[in-house]
Amino acid sequence: MTLQLNNLSKTYANEVKALDAITIEISSGMFGLLGPNGAGKSTLMRTIATLQDPDEGSIRFGDLDPLTDPKAFRQLLGYLPQEFGVYPRISAEQLLDHLATLKGISAKGERKELVHHLLQKVNLYDKRNKSVKGFSGGMKQRVGIAQALIGNPKILIVDEPTAGLDPGERNRFYDLISDIGDDVIVILSTHIVDDVRELCTDMAIMNHGKIVFKGEPNEGIKELKGKVYEKHIRKDELEEYKQNFNVISNRLIAGKPVIHILGEKPDKSFKAIEPSLEDVFFSKLQANN
Amino acid sequence: MFKHFFLSELRYTLRQPMVYLFFLIVFLLVFAANASDNVTIGGAIGNVHRNAPHIITTFTAVMCIFGLLFAAAFFNNAALRDHKYNFQEILYTKPIDRFGYFFGRFTAALLMATFPLLGVFCGVSLGTQISPVMGWIEPDRFGPIHLSTFVSNYFLFVLPNMLFAGSIIYTLAHQFKSTMTSFVGALLIIVIYLVTGQLLSDIDNETIGAMLDTFAIGAYNVTAKYYTPLEKNTLNPSFSGLLMYNRLIWITVSLVILAIAYIRFSFAERKTKPKKIKKATEEKIEVIKRPELTVVQESLFQQFKSFFWINFKNIYKHVTFRILLAFSTILLLADLISGFEYYGLQSYPLTYRMADAIDGTTLFVMIILVFFSGELIWRDREAHINEVIDATPHASLISLFAKTLSLFSLTLILHAFFVGLAILYQLLKGYFQIELSTYFWDFIYNSFPLYLATAMIVMAVQVMVNNKYIGYVISIIIIVGLDIILAIADIQSNMVRFMASPYLIYSDMNGFGPSNLGVFWFNTYWVLGSLFVLVLSGLFWARGTLNSLRDRLRNRWTKIAKSYKIGLLSTGLVWIAVASYVYYNTQVLYTYKSQEESELLAVDYEEKYKRYKGAPHPKVIAANYTIDIYPNEKRRSSVAHLQLINPYDQPIDTLLINASKSYYNEVIDFSNAKRVKKDDKHKVHFYVFDPPFVKGDTLEATITQDFHRKGFSNGSASTSIVRNGTFFNNFSILPSIGYDSGKILSNRNKRRKYKLPPKDRMPALEEACGPNCAKNYLTDGYSDFIDVETVISTSKDQIAIAPGSLIEEWTQNDRNYYRYRVDHPSQNFYSFISADYTIAKRDWNGVAIEIYHDAKHGVNIERMLDAVERSLEYYTKNFGPYTQKQCRIIEFPRFSTFAQAFPGTMPYSEAFGFVIDLEDEEQNNIIDAVIAHEMAHQWWAHQVVGANMQGGTMMSESFSEYSALMTMKKTAKTPMKMREFLKYNHDRYLRGRAVELEKELPLYKVENQSYIHYGKGSIVLYALQDYIGEDKVNAAMRSFLEEYKYTTPYPTSLNFLEHLDPQVPDSLKYLIDDWFKEITLYDNRLLSATARALEDGKYAIDLEIEARKIKADSLGNEQQAALNEWIDVGVFADADEEILMHQQRVKFTDTKSVVTLTVDSLPAKAAIDPRHILIDRVFSDNTKTVKLE
Repeated sequence: MTLQLNNLSKTYANEVKALDAITIEISSGMFGLLGPNGAGKSTLMRTIATLQDPDEGSIRFGDLDPLTDPKAFRQLLGYLPQEFGVYPRISAEQLLDHLATLKGISAKGERKELVHHLLQKVNLYDKRNKSVKGFSGGMKQRVGIAQALIGNPKILIVDEPTAGLDPGERNRFYDLISDIGDDVIVILSTHIVDDVRELCTDMAIMNHGKIVFKGEPNEGIKELKGKVYEKHIRKDELEEYKQNFNVISNRLIAGKPVIHILGEKPDKSFKAIEPSLEDVFFSKLQANN
Repeated sequence: MFKHFFLSELRYTLRQPMVYLFFLIVFLLVFAANASDNVTIGGAIGNVHRNAPHIITTFTAVMCIFGLLFAAAFFNNAALRDHKYNFQEILYTKPIDRFGYFFGRFTAALLMATFPLLGVFCGVSLGTQISPVMGWIEPDRFGPIHLSTFVSNYFLFVLPNMLFAGSIIYTLAHQFKSTMTSFVGALLIIVIYLVTGQLLSDIDNETIGAMLDTFAIGAYNVTAKYYTPLEKNTLNPSFSGLLMYNRLIWITVSLVILAIAYIRFSFAERKTKPKKIKKATEEKIEVIKRPELTVVQESLFQQFKSFFWINFKNIYKHVTFRILLAFSTILLLADLISGFEYYGLQSYPLTYRMADAIDGTTLFVMIILVFFSGELIWRDREAHINEVIDATPHASLISLFAKTLSLFSLTLILHAFFVGLAILYQLLKGYFQIELSTYFWDFIYNSFPLYLATAMIVMAVQVMVNNKYIGYVISIIIIVGLDIILAIADIQSNMVRFMASPYLIYSDMNGFGPSNLGVFWFNTYWVLGSLFVLVLSGLFWARGTLNSLRDRLRNRWTKIAKSYKIGLLSTGLVWIAVASYVYYNTQVLYTYKSQEESELLAVDYEEKYKRYKGAPHPKVIAANYTIDIYPNEKRRSSVAHLQLINPYDQPIDTLLINASKSYYNEVIDFSNAKRVKKDDKHKVHFYVFDPPFVKGDTLEATITQDFHRKGFSNGSASTSIVRNGTFFNNFSILPSIGYDSGKILSNRNKRRKYKLPPKDRMPALEEACGPNCAKNYLTDGYSDFIDVETVISTSKDQIAIAPGSLIEEWTQNDRNYYRYRVDHPSQNFYSFISADYTIAKRDWNGVAIEIYHDAKHGVNIERMLDAVERSLEYYTKNFGPYTQKQCRIIEFPRFSTFAQAFPGTMPYSEAFGFVIDLEDEEQNNIIDAVIAHEMAHQWWAHQVVGANMQGGTMMSESFSEYSALMTMKKTAKTPMKMREFLKYNHDRYLRGRAVELEKELPLYKVENQSYIHYGKGSIVLYALQDYIGEDKVNAAMRSFLEEYKYTTPYPTSLNFLEHLDPQVPDSLKYLIDDWFKEITLYDNRLLSATARALEDGKYAIDLEIEARKIKADSLGNEQQAALNEWIDVGVFADADEEILMHQQRVKFTDTKSVVTLTVDSLPAKAAIDPRHILIDRVFSDNTKTVKLE
């Protein structure tokens, strides 16, 4: 089953064009949606998750049209929003049980077994009677993924799941996500390149409401092979380099700026490097700007 | 630093719109109350100036309670703003001065909290300027405004009250850093205020209550309770007496609280205790496999259940809920423990009393409903779980309905909890007649529909408005604001006031009738209407992340399920059907008039028919009634045969009859008069005699009525025919004859508004009484003493009672019939009663004492029989024979609380007497007093009755109250016991004269003013017998009775004074002038009492005394009069003033004097007028503790 987005557009009341004629096809497997803050990722995620209607365009999921029959689509959907909060004074088990009921797991015994299974899977079984409100960010996020997995979803949308997690929690999260079956579409929106590199077989880069790249991560890297160079510079030289070269990124290493440029090797002071997914990301953004 | 924080806080707050909004609210409320008669704050204004200092003080005091909520906002902001914006960490690391920060902010907030209350002063000032100009209120109802009134109010009430509120709220805010807790703190202060208010309800506790009252409203009320209109118009509240002590107490408390808070206040964040970490026991658990799911399918019921529980738990565990629960519990307990007072006695904890107390918690339940409606609707979004929930395939409205139900079920639990408390209280009191059905039906009629409809409407408001705080405001407007708006607009229909219905009152005798039908239909109407609005609000339900109104409504109708549309439509249709039925009953079947319409009608009646005032009309000389009561069919039919005579010299040619309302189906037939004119607007009929009706002629009149109550009305249903406890008097089945001054406007200010001259006062007291003495004040010329015979029937299970002896009784057509005839011609003033009674009988020298009571109310019957017997004994011995053959006390439902004397029969409300707990009382209490009073009316009112002129009621009410006191005195064990009874009469008189709307008159010219004829009359007569002797007063009354009983013309108060005069020694003749013919008050006080031990073991007590006699005029202007008085001085052996060990009567001629008493042992206290028999506005200063030199 594939998810097809055709010509989706959305402009907010404050004139921000969050979606600009997005057309994309996503098939089973892990799909990474990479983009800087404010690129429109969350709008896209929410639109797919039936939480808001686009101004224009259509969505198809197999035979389903989520825009006109949201209920049928929601039955196949697992969704972890960017901000996953929880009710105060409610335990993890009660929360999951409630959400399982809403997803249509009506048989009590099954629901209980499922909830226990998921809690064990996200390694929170022994904390099932604790109030979720008191959980750490990582634990909360694990509850989030557990709820998204209720009811064997065919499509799973996770919006910025790793923001704010420490490296350990992030790895645990990767493990959980990578366990999900191959026949499920998993859309992972993130601004962290590592997330995509470690998990995704397919990806897209989004900026200013548009898809600026779509393909396998390796394809993007391949495209840049032999075109990325690196140089350590002084801080006061940065502006000059930006004017003279196609600087796609600059960052500090031990307090010293290091710039990456795209193009032909200008001189010996630049060192050729293996392009990374990050370079792909920055180069695509820059092209779009 | 202080200045910096003070000024910056002030600047910040002054930029907030809420300051001006609060000011505006207060300003508008006060302006409306000042400039319109339809709006009142803290009670009606009466005949003092609309801007009198007393009124301004009342406004200020009441507004301070409102002001509390404003104060909560200001103080909370001042304390928490830095915390809220996470700025405190930056701020607290700066080198700032603790003191300046803490108190600078506080002082600014205090100043700002008092700002909205300045709206009171602006409102009054503007009202004073504008309303006379606009013609809303006559100019002479305003007096001058003095700045000093505002200043003293500001410093006595506004500032200290806000200081107190601020100290608590500011402290709480600093301690808990939670806005909610701060508002709960404000609520706590209100609860404290309400609880102390309960203490004030009995005059024994009023001083303690006045001290504990945080707002000093009670302290002021106690101070001002005996203020005359003149004093109310001129006196500002002052920093003295009770008010001063109260203010000192609470200012001190506030400062202490603040000081403690300041000491605790620290710039470091509040340290949280590290929680103990439990060692997680590593339990080996088997791996739980992912279950095979059966087909995923939607179960609306399961979803509903899950939504319900998750929301229910949320509120149930919410700290605010628990705090509100605790508050309402405290309030309920305070109400239970101190409630149901009647003159210092408490009633048994009857279930209906409990149910009434539970209904007193309604306010809190409503607060819970409003507050949690916002919480529930917004909690998903506030907890950031809305996206997850909304992305699941549940049906949208399931959540809304489940939330509403969870909100509503909390009210059920609350109610059940309160009922549990009440039952526990009953059991603890040793009262076991617990009526679960009364609890249940009270809930069904009162609480259940109110809570259900409110839950639905407030939820719907939150959904539609989609803004929590605007939602709160709109909910509050619907629940309380609407009443105010409709009152101003003079709209009475219960169909537009949220959850309004006729007033329902439960009676042990009659259950929930007769208004229950109307209540049921109005409740149904409101519940269905609210349900419709709730379902409708589903269209506005916010699902997903785009929630502007346009987004919500777009496509909603097309996306919505068919079942929803059917639901919406059918709810709407059922509601419209019910609404039509209610409309038919309350607007078509039974009409009612708005206040203005009633006023205009009264004005029109007066203008049209005033000229018939005083026109002679025939007198009734005999009456025969046939009355059939059908309690179960709510039907009553009656035939009255009257025989009338023309006693006047001039012939009568026309007769004006005020007919009854059309649903009485009245038919009036005169043997020799014809109806010539009919005015349907006023129900006035004119009859013409042809030939004219000349002196001595008689005439037969037949009046039939058939009243059958069907359906229900907008107001309360008539209680004249009910299922059990029908009680009506003869005037309700007879039309009134002649110009009826009861149908005209009597309110002085209303009359001015319609440019009517002042209402005719009672005819002036005449020395040589002419035609005015041909009428008595009870029947006003309708009849004199007449014979009455009645045949009355009722259903098989009930007994029907009419005046006189029972001649025969029989059963016919499965109904009970009775024939009664009065034994002695009597006043044409009697009642007809039917109920299922148990009868207690006792014979006293051939007089049958009978108490007709409900089977449940048997507990005090023996005592009541004793009281009747004691009265008969005293009155026959001292006044003359009893003229009827029976004394009946007849219980009637508690639709009103009174006892009334008709010839031989005394209907007595079930609300007191029958249900008061007298187990610990001596045979001498207020219930005995009420019976003795009504029994005394068998002489004073029924044997002799005053002419219809000034002073007329003295001979019935004052004499009866005096007679009752004498029966009490006879059984009182100590002279001090009587002081407790007299206290209520003193209070009644002094309070009554303080709220007199027209003018106070001396006792012998009393114009049916109850505070004078009951209160003052009884004190004066009691004091008189103390001065001249009981036998002398009784002899005067007896000889007066002998001369005037059962005769016309009727006597006046002067006739009584003629009989009194020979009994009074010359040395005390001045008392007749002082007490009967003038308004005399005493201002006595004991300055000091010093004891000296004498050589023979005795003690000499030196009393330094100040005594004044004051004469007041009708408006309360007072003048000191020359003193030449005999006044008691005495000493008490004990501090509780129960043992009066010595007293003697001393003549006082100077304001200041020293009296020395010699006694055998050292007394505890001394007093002037120790038994409180003189009228003294401040009695507490009459007593002092004796100091040994």
